[in-house]
Parts: sequence; C-alpha cells; structure tokens
Amino acid sequence: MTAAARCLSGVHNMDADPIIRIENLSYQYPRSPAFVLRDVNLNVQRGEFLGIVGPTGAGKTTLCLALNGIVPQFYGGRFFGHVTVAGLDTIENRIYELAQHVTLVFQDPETQLIANSVQDEVAFGLENFQVARSEMPQRIQWALEAVRLKGMLHRHPSELSGGEKQRLAIAAALAVQPDVLVLDEPTSQLDPLGKQEVFATIRELNERLGITVILASHASEELAEFADRVALLDQGQLVSLDTPERIFSGRDLLARHAVRPPQVTEFYIELARQGLEPPSIPVTLQEATAAYEQMRDKIAVCACPAAEALPPPSEPPLLSAHDVHYTYGDGTRALRHVTLDIHQGEYVVIVGQNGAGKTTLAKHFLHLLEPQAGEVHLAGRDVRTLAVSDIAQTIGFVAQNPDQQIFSTTVASEVSFALQSLGTRGPELEARVAESLQTMGLTDLRDRHPLSLAQGDRARVVIAAALAMRPDVLIFDEPTTGQDYNGAKRILDVSRRFHQAGKTVIVITHHLYLMPGYAQRVVVMGRGVVLGDLPLRQAFHSSELLRSTYLAAPQIVRLAQYISAREQVPLPILTPKELAACLRLRRTSP
Amino acid sequence: MTWRRFGSVGESRFGRLDFRSKLMVMAAATALAFLWESPTLNGLLTLSVLGLCLLARIRLSYLSHVLRLMLPFYVLLLLTHGIWNTNVGRTVLWTAPQGWWLIGGSIQLTLEGLVYGLMIIFRTLTLVLVIPLVVLTSSLDELIVGLVRIRVPYKVAFVFSATLRFVPLLLQEIQTITEAQRLRGLALEKMNLLQRLRVYSRIAVPLLLGAMTKSQQLDTVLAAKAFSGSPDRTYLHEHTMGTADRLVVVLGVAAIATALALRATTGIGGFQLPGW
Repeated sequence: MTAAARCLSGVHNMDADPIIRIENLSYQYPRSPAFVLRDVNLNVQRGEFLGIVGPTGAGKTTLCLALNGIVPQFYGGRFFGHVTVAGLDTIENRIYELAQHVTLVFQDPETQLIANSVQDEVAFGLENFQVARSEMPQRIQWALEAVRLKGMLHRHPSELSGGEKQRLAIAAALAVQPDVLVLDEPTSQLDPLGKQEVFATIRELNERLGITVILASHASEELAEFADRVALLDQGQLVSLDTPERIFSGRDLLARHAVRPPQVTEFYIELARQGLEPPSIPVTLQEATAAYEQMRDKIAVCACPAAEALPPPSEPPLLSAHDVHYTYGDGTRALRHVTLDIHQGEYVVIVGQNGAGKTTLAKHFLHLLEPQAGEVHLAGRDVRTLAVSDIAQTIGFVAQNPDQQIFSTTVASEVSFALQSLGTRGPELEARVAESLQTMGLTDLRDRHPLSLAQGDRARVVIAAALAMRPDVLIFDEPTTGQDYNGAKRILDVSRRFHQAGKTVIVITHHLYLMPGYAQRVVVMGRGVVLGDLPLRQAFHSSELLRSTYLAAPQIVRLAQYISAREQVPLPILTPKELAACLRLRRTSP
Repeated sequence: MTWRRFGSVGESRFGRLDFRSKLMVMAAATALAFLWESPTLNGLLTLSVLGLCLLARIRLSYLSHVLRLMLPFYVLLLLTHGIWNTNVGRTVLWTAPQGWWLIGGSIQLTLEGLVYGLMIIFRTLTLVLVIPLVVLTSSLDELIVGLVRIRVPYKVAFVFSATLRFVPLLLQEIQTITEAQRLRGLALEKMNLLQRLRVYSRIAVPLLLGAMTKSQQLDTVLAAKAFSGSPDRTYLHEHTMGTADRLVVVLGVAAIATALALRATTGIGGFQLPGW
C-alpha cells in the first residue's frame, strides 16, 4: 500500500483519541541561549508512521527526547506546554513509567548497546521493567525474530554489522512491547543496504503490529515511501504537517527549509519545467515508474551523456598502497591485498559497507597505522620512514566527527595550532590564519569557542585548520554524515575549490548520490578488499558491484535503468537534471 | 561501549563471579596491602593481583598504560623514602659528594628507606591493579546493582559507577586528541618534558568536555531504557552466590583474619629487609 493509499484508507481517524498529544510545547536547554522548540502543536494517532524532517538544529532530536520525558526530566531547562503519551503527562510521570509506552532508538549504534551479548541487550529493558524470568526467553525470541536477528542470541554486539547493531537496538526497544517507537536518525551512520534493512523492518513492525512510529531523518526517499505523514521542523517550529506527497513535492517549501526532495521528485519537477507535466508529482520510485508509463506516449528519449574515461595518469603516483594487509588486535581483517595508486590532482571517493576498511586505509596513508605486510608510499617515500607530524604537512585529514579534532579555546587558535607546531611565527602566522579563516567563511567567528558553534560551522573550523598547513592532499572521512543538505553541499564545495586548485582530494562516504559534480573516480571496497576502481559514471551504473558491498545505486539511477530497459536506450545518467535532459516532448508527426 | 576495549566482561572464570565476590577480593587485597609492611609479602600480593588480572583477561595495553602513568610518581616515592625515611634503619648506600651545591654531604640514601619505598610502591600497585580487576570484568548493570545489593545507596552507587566509567573514556579521549594534534604537525616525540607538559595542559579542557559528553550520552541511553539502578528488577541470568562465590568470600575473610592474627601475635607482616 502506498503512503497515500494508507492515509486515505483511514488507518487513523484524525478525530480519534491520539496516542501522542503535544500542546504549545516550548523548550530551552539549561545553557542554550534560545528556545530549541517553539510552540509546537502536534497529535499523532495510534498506528501512524510519522516522519520528522528539517535542517540541522531544527529541534528534531529534542522533540524525540520530549516524547518520553527525558526532556525536561533528565536535562532540566525551561519547559512550557504539555506532552501526553498514552494518556500519561510527561512531566507528572517518571521516565521509568513513560518508557514502558515509548521506547527510543538513537543515531549512533555504538553508544546505545550496553550489554555483552545480543540476548542480554534485549533482556536489559525487560529486567528493568521486572518482567518475570520465565517470560523473558519468549519475549527475546519474538523481538529478535521481528528484526531478523534470530539465531544470534549469544553473539557479542560488537561483532555485528552496522545495520545489524541498529536492528538489535530496535529489538531491545521492541521487546518492551511499547505503544510508540521513536527513532532519531537511526540510519545516518549506515551503509545504503543497512539503511534499507532498517527502514523495511520498521515499516513491517508498524504495519503488522500496529506500533506507532516517529522517525526523524534526512533520508527523504525512505520517508516518502514509508511515512503516513511528515512533520517539517525548522528553528524549533512546526512549519508544516502533511502527507509525504504534499511535503516532498513542495519545491519552494523544501528549499526554504533546506530539505532535499527525493531524487525522483526533483526529476519530475525538472521535467514539468520542460513542459512535460506529470498527472501528479511522484515522491517514490514506484509512483515515478507509474507516472512514466502514463506519460510514455508523450515522451521521446534522446541522446545522453556518454561515459567518460579517466585521463591516463602521467606522473608517478602521489599516494600508493601496494599489497597492504592489516588485521586489528581483535582479529578483524581490515585490509587484504589492497593495492591502489592515487595521483596528484585526482578527486577520489572511497565507498563500501560499514567495516569495509575505508578509514583503516586512510590511516595507513597518514602513518597512524603501519601495514603488517605490503608498503605504503607518499611521493615515492615509504610512509614508515616519515613521522605523522611530517606527513601532516602534505596530507590534511578531516575526521568523521569534527568534535574529536577540536581542542583549542578559540577558532583562531584552533586554526593557528598547526602553524605554530611547524614553527611559523609573527606576521606570516597572522596572514595564513586570516587566509584560512576567510576561505572557510569563519573570519567573523575567529574569537568564538569552537565548541559553541553549530555543527556545520565546527566542521568548517576543522577544515580551516587542515587548510592552514597548505597541504597537497585533503582526506575527508564521512564529511556529510549528520549534515543537512545545505551543510553537506557547503563542505563538498570546499573540497571542489581545493581540487580546482590542482590539489588531491579523497572522500570516504556512503552518500554516493552527493558526489556528481565533485568526484571523478570511485574506489569500491568491501570486507578489506578493493572490489572495483572505476570512473564515477560507470560506478553509478554498476549495480551488482555496489550491491556486493551493501551499497545501492541512487534512486534516480534506478529510475533511469527502468526507462532504459523499457526504451532500449542506454541512459548512463548521474543526476535528476541529466535524466530530465534526456527526455523531450514527442512531436506529433504533421 | 568503550571499556570493552580494555576489559573482558564475562570472558573469564573471574569475570563470571558474582559482583559481591569480586568486591570481597578487592576488600581482602586492600586490607592485606595496608596490614602488611613487609616488602616481600606486599610484593607477592602485587604479583598475585597482577596474575589475577591476566587470568581475568584484562587487556595488557590497559595495564601498561596505567604503569606508565604511575612511573614518575614511583620514582619520586623511591627517592623520598630513600633519603628521608630513617625510621626503619640507617644503612647508608650512597652520600652526595661534598662538592655538590647545597646537598653535598647532607643527603644520604639508606637501604632501608629504599626498601620501604619499594614496599609502598607494591602497596599502591596492588590498589591500582585491583580496581580494574573488579571494574573491567563487570558490566555496568552488575556494578550498580551489585553495589545497591550490599546496601550502598543508589545515588552513591551511580556516582561511583559514573566515575569509574570515566577512566576508560578519558584514556580513549586522550588518544583521540593526541592523534588529532599529531595530524596538525605536533611532533610530541621531539619535545622535552616541559614542552610536553604544556601540550598536556592544553588538552585538559577538551578532554573533560569530550568525556563528559560521552558519559552524558550513556546516561541518556540508560534513562531511555528505564534503568533506575533500583534493585527491584528481574534478571535473565540468575545472580546467586554459587559454590565458587562462597569459596571466594570464605577465603577472603580467612585471609584478613589470619593476617591480622599473625601480625598481632608473631609480628609476621611487619617491616623487615627481605632475605638477609
């Protein structure tokens, strides 16, 4: 059933007694300067699947935490209005009582797993709720079955893949048999197939067991497909609350609030602009193919961009790994037979499932790890002969979590740290700090404490600090994770400017769909092995290769593949715009 | 979670003991360490605790980390006792030459003082090693519930466990931050002690902030799972005192009683130069 159909079928009668009632909710954290939620009014019906979208800092996480009383009972702060869940007021009832009706799944699979086996993890909540021991095995089995983790009872959670860990977190939440399951960006750290697994699991639980689901996410494609209604939050206010069709096809609304529409929606909006108006703007792949069939006799498919080959490398490689092996202390074989050359001036993306060895490889380039077999060279020199601090002058590294790379008290001192370490002093130091700050648009923030800045700004501080050393290579590890669309674009734009200056860029990411217009070459890794090394366009259309390492072709590529098969025309496109450019209004013969 | 990197919850026979038995081991080791002033006995005690740590599969990296941290403190301890502790004996090993400014002729190292210093080192090492032995082999809920069961008020138990959780978090943060600094051209390996101290003083603030953020995240997660630390809960696994647990408790009590009796009647355990 599509979201629209489910909505119309009256699964939730808006007049019925809602399971969640939020009235005039405003909230300010104890030390935050402004209100994080402002006058939010929202009712959620029993059995509904509500998506929450909005840019970073919109208040999505706070709203999730308000649903089981953690805000304000745990954090304190100023709280106005009422939140009632399953008839219980979230201030008058303790978190413990509320948690029996509402369970939470958080963003980071690592920090929320606390037990030493899959079975104990699920049991933990049951033990707290004093479920009888005799009843536990049955409940644990049921919860694990629901998320397809049956038979893993005795595994250690750290041995699971990212998608499995998150599904375990859901199982633990589920075993309590809550009325409401709240998930705060549950898939942002997962590879694309892990993400699909988690979404499919949640939808099934919602449909089969009637569990009410509240899910905050940046994943527009998935929310469009699965949610009954979508709430758009920005700056703490509920901007809009409607069906996914109306929210995601509202191009101007989304642009105003920095929310990315699903790729197929973007495509049909572009097509409409060319005079090919669909009956209604689709928001899911299924609707998109149906709309294509309806319009098919009006459409002519014409020539498309051809796959471009990468220019042959002329010089010896700047970075090279030759038959590198690395196994971690716990026995994880992170790299096996990895051989890879990267040349000056290339823009390379490294993709692959969680645990494919991407970050481990980057750490070898930086000499933070040493190969147990094989060799790594930087500009012809064995990395083992170079100190980390020396390599840092050639390679700038931006870690996945910018907060782990911030250790100074002002933005300016953060940026000048590297230069001072390298002995730069006086006017030269001043000039280079100023230059770096300006490049990243941080000049006005130079005296602020880095940790007091918004997340996107903090990431830019770390990049400015790396740029100050004037490196030849920049390595970004998952730079767009947890960033909203605009934030992600801003960071990638910096990487492009750096690349246009003739420098080398390496980006590790799950977000392949963001890379057109930036990257040229894709290295596909899986289970410690390089599975493929190919131009971006080719990589987008290598579905088998991508699937073998838990990646998936972007939604628009899948639509192009459908049309391509239908019309027997090759359509090696990268973006919704490119696909729209391949389609024309068919001229009727005179 | 972080302390998995250092610990070995439930992986060893020791790890599977009831938390109360583990606390008994901790109490016995602490009592003996303070009861005895004998360098030989205290040395043996330290070795036994170290052996237990290895049997309980505490990561070697964690142990060596702790030892390196304590090293400067131990050098200081040895010197101060060697020079100033003259209560236990006055066999002079070395006198500062007359020509040395200020200390020439007046500063002497005594054998007894050095040996006493060594005993103090063993004593502190026992304490430093027995804490991870108990903490790193127990899971978080075992720890809090274990404390609550021996009638420690819940609030105190929670603060205690939060403090203990902080240690591995701090160590991990130190590593992350120093890695970030090396990647910004900081060459720690080329620095002298003073320069290094300046670097370390700079990371104190981000270190605490980072560790506190993580600690708070964990608290939020626990609250969301309705964990209140209350002993009114059920258990998937039976937490009863088994034969091994009872044996450990009996042995612990016996060890403390025997040591007390011997010290009082025969003086065994008092300070004595080993061997000769």
